[in-house]
Amino acid sequence: MDQSVAIQETLEEGEYCIIAVQGVLCEGDSRQSRLLGLVRHRLEHRGQEHALFLYMHRRMAITGDDVTLDQIVPVSRDFTLEEVSSDGELYILGSDVTVQLDTGELSLLFQLPFGSHTRMFLQEVARACPGFDPATRDPQFLWLSRYEGREPEPEPDSRTESGWSLSQSTWPGYGTIGGGGSNSDSSKSNGKSLLGDQSSGGQDKAENSLTRQNKSKSEITDLVRSSTITVSDKAHILSMQKFGLRDTIVKSHLVQKEDDYTYIQKFRFFVGTYNVNGQSPKECLQPWLSHGTQAPDVYCVGFQELDLSKEAFFFHDTPKEEEWFKAVSESLHPDAKYAKVKLIRLVGIMLLLYVKQEHAAYISDVEAETVGTGIMGRMGNKGGVAIRFQLHNTSICVVNSHLAAHTEEYERRNQDYKDICSRMQFCQVDPSLPALTISKHDVILWLGDLNYRIEDLDVEKVKKLIEEKAFQTLYAYDQLKIQVAAKTVFDGYAEGELTFQPTYKYDTGSDDWDTSEKCRAPAWCDRILWKGKNITQLSYQSHMALKTSDHKPVSSEFDIGVKVVNNELYRKTLEKIVRSLDKMENANIPSVSLSKREFCFQNVKYMQLQVESFTIHNGQVPCQFEFINKPDEESYCKQWLNANPSRGFLLPDSDIEIELELFVNKTTATKLNSGEDKIEDILVLHLDRGKDYFLSVTGNYLPSCFGSPLHTLCYMRQPILDLPLDTISELTLMPIQTEDDGSQLESPMEIPKELWMMVDYLYRNAIQQEDLFQQPGLRLEFEHIRDCLDTGMIDDLSASNHSVAEALLLFLESLPEPVICYSAYHSCLECSGNYAVSKQVISTLPTFHKNVFNYLMAFLQELLKNSVKNHLDENILASIFGSLLLRNPAGHQKLEMTDKKKAQEFIHQFLCNTL
Amino acid sequence: MAKKTYDLLFKLLLIGDSGVGKTCVLFRFSDDAFNTTFISTIGIDFKIKTVELQGKKIKLQIWDTAGQERFHTITTSYYRGAMGIMLVYDITNGKSFENISKWLRNIDEHANEDVERMLLGNKCDMDDKRVVPKGKGEQIAREHGIRFFETSAKANINIEKAFLTLAEDILRKTPVKEPNSENVDISSGGGVTGWKSKCC
Repeated sequence: MDQSVAIQETLEEGEYCIIAVQGVLCEGDSRQSRLLGLVRHRLEHRGQEHALFLYMHRRMAITGDDVTLDQIVPVSRDFTLEEVSSDGELYILGSDVTVQLDTGELSLLFQLPFGSHTRMFLQEVARACPGFDPATRDPQFLWLSRYEGREPEPEPDSRTESGWSLSQSTWPGYGTIGGGGSNSDSSKSNGKSLLGDQSSGGQDKAENSLTRQNKSKSEITDLVRSSTITVSDKAHILSMQKFGLRDTIVKSHLVQKEDDYTYIQKFRFFVGTYNVNGQSPKECLQPWLSHGTQAPDVYCVGFQELDLSKEAFFFHDTPKEEEWFKAVSESLHPDAKYAKVKLIRLVGIMLLLYVKQEHAAYISDVEAETVGTGIMGRMGNKGGVAIRFQLHNTSICVVNSHLAAHTEEYERRNQDYKDICSRMQFCQVDPSLPALTISKHDVILWLGDLNYRIEDLDVEKVKKLIEEKAFQTLYAYDQLKIQVAAKTVFDGYAEGELTFQPTYKYDTGSDDWDTSEKCRAPAWCDRILWKGKNITQLSYQSHMALKTSDHKPVSSEFDIGVKVVNNELYRKTLEKIVRSLDKMENANIPSVSLSKREFCFQNVKYMQLQVESFTIHNGQVPCQFEFINKPDEESYCKQWLNANPSRGFLLPDSDIEIELELFVNKTTATKLNSGEDKIEDILVLHLDRGKDYFLSVTGNYLPSCFGSPLHTLCYMRQPILDLPLDTISELTLMPIQTEDDGSQLESPMEIPKELWMMVDYLYRNAIQQEDLFQQPGLRLEFEHIRDCLDTGMIDDLSASNHSVAEALLLFLESLPEPVICYSAYHSCLECSGNYAVSKQVISTLPTFHKNVFNYLMAFLQELLKNSVKNHLDENILASIFGSLLLRNPAGHQKLEMTDKKKAQEFIHQFLCNTL
Repeated sequence: MAKKTYDLLFKLLLIGDSGVGKTCVLFRFSDDAFNTTFISTIGIDFKIKTVELQGKKIKLQIWDTAGQERFHTITTSYYRGAMGIMLVYDITNGKSFENISKWLRNIDEHANEDVERMLLGNKCDMDDKRVVPKGKGEQIAREHGIRFFETSAKANINIEKAFLTLAEDILRKTPVKEPNSENVDISSGGGVTGWKSKCC
């Protein structure tokens, strides 16, 4: 039953009960049932908080009225809920889960019912725990204030140190811990079952378990640890979130290779079935349960008609359960100590599973389910119960069924069988896996009052054959035999030869056939069948000595070959699997090959593109590649370099060509001239989720007058390319205001010779050129002009006037410090209307800048004299040269229209006034 | 929940001069193989290997770095985030041993403060060409308080032991009840480059 519904009804708006589980709160010798609800509160601004709400509750909590809030435990950072092993749990392995809840303030111990639901609950709680990431805020739990006052007042004298209320509950009927789960619907705990403690009550045991807990914890942990070696236990590990996929793969490989690391070991199974006709145990069950000389390893004991009262039918509750459980526990083979693994009951159908104590650690994944096929096809007066578990590496399912009665109803019985098979579904520990059915087990043991009768023979004839012990003859008339032969039921199951007389129906307390009015014909109602490999039946018999019921109990002993793990081989197999997965993972790391990793760009020139290309060839994994920034750098390469494309996607075994484009412009030229920068870079080609490749770029730059400062050029009497690099570097780094003391340096020229060359060329050839400075030049001619200027081969210069004019503009543009120095920019704009002051400002410029400015103005005035031919006027020239000579120190982006206008106006003055 | 399994991801880094055998050490550990042809690692490579230590499954992600000097400024940026660093020299190459102190300085400057360090003297199968006595390796390791192994990727000597020891040393430092340590996200496989995050 989903009890979160009842809890949900008690919650304020905005809160949600994710999952609830019913457990037993253990405090000293007090055992109280509590509903534990994990409640989520969504915060207004993202995020959520959780708290554990503990409720007292009526036996069957269906609505909010059935529960009373007892305590709220916020899931804070110091909150932990952990499974603990307390003393004695070894003996009830597969029963309860004991969990310890700790916060800074309190510490509580709960027993939760064993099974997937509890495991889901624990997982949900684990997921709800706030991370420890210091970046996230501590949960505030402001919303919990809304529940204040709802918790009952604790009695002052019954408080523990932690403030936890110990007060005995006031709800009737849940103050004590129950004797065992009665029905799969009920999550009531299967509290006590320590066989050695049978005589003492559950509460004593609880006390023992608490006081002894510390002492034996380490032993138990050891035991738990040792059991984790078994393959079956990996299911627990699997349920953890992380490594999930990988673990799933490992698991499936392990299943495939199971034969490599397991061997078959025989286990003695006792299987018994007894229809007790609603009676209480009156006689010792030893003749039935421990008649053999060898103590069985596993006991599977089934009952039918445990309680025929309508109370049992309607309330699923019967004292008979405890009585028969006790009777069985006391009659198990005296030579061994047994642990109860599980008890499951549906009304009168009960199944008990015990294992020898030493095997308990190898039992895992215990689940129990019930299917009712009685009234309306659903009720529990008929049907089946089943327990599935893993013994070492073999999965085993034990079914106890009570099928429909009456001779003529064999088809109904067949149908009951089919219903049980289809509706019996076991949860898996890993909730993502589909539910298991009965048929999905290595070994199936099916016992019960199957109710098949002997047909087509009258009662007297039957009794006569029995008297003659002609069981073979009689067996031919057995409905189950006939139906199995017709493959309508128990297909694939085996049954041993019936060498005992029918087990139904006797007068209670005797071995006499039914003498009642109905005078039922004798029948082999009580049967044991099996399915699976490595199963040998050792005995199959009834036990006439027991006379409590109108049925006789039946027993069968088996030797069942169970797959046991050889730890050494298991480790080797696991190792092999892990290695192969690692190999796979390594093979899946993206990897490429590059046609070239070293790129040399030789004799790079100003504004001349050089391209080197290479090919990325991808391996077998699709990958994304990208050139990534090196630490503390803002782009993946130097400013003069560009990779095209710089990122992309590659399919397996495909190629892409990448071009590395090198282009030096005015921004990067000066530092290359000075040697502050070099044609040297390392590019990092990164593959997403994969390797990084380093690409080396080297080369040399040919210094150029483009990008060189004016004063530097003035000091260069020779062509720049004739100078040693050291000298160029030195001159380039020379401060602008160098006073010529005439000692170290050759006396400078008044203006750069390169400037003179261009202006002179234009003066000589282009003074009357139409649209001078307004038509673009040719790129090839620019390169030629640049080379002539840098090598001094001015006589070779032959280019169109427009190309030379453009080269002049590019030259002015490439100056690191404009003709009118940045420092004078603002004063120039301010005095742009006042020619006298403007001239004054110009006179303050460094000598070479002043010279260049005056030289250019004179040249422009010369041009204007020919304006009839060349169509130039003051406005055109002021507009072209204004922005080149006067550059905003803040860069072009900030250039406002008014500033631009003022700059033009400033130049304009010098064009129309005498210099 | 007492059976919590703390599965962990450890990032290890191999550094040292070019040609000392870092890639071979990694190849021996990850693929249990050896390749005699020398191909200089120009970049950052990595491989994974899963090991089990003290019942915990630990995924080792091992980065192999370029040893060439010209790449040092870049490779040091990969130190960040590494939990263990193996510093490898070649016992037949004196220079590679002399550079140890430079590499250690690099670690101090660029790696996490609590990074677990280890010194490996590789190629110990080539005893006839040995120029660095074992004692010298031991001494420098002792001086810096780090572990030392002489290894041979070729002869498979001490390779596995070195990695497992390093992983164990890291594990020892990892708090047993490390908050959310089971949340170490390895599914993405990303985070391979320490400074990648900046640009994506």
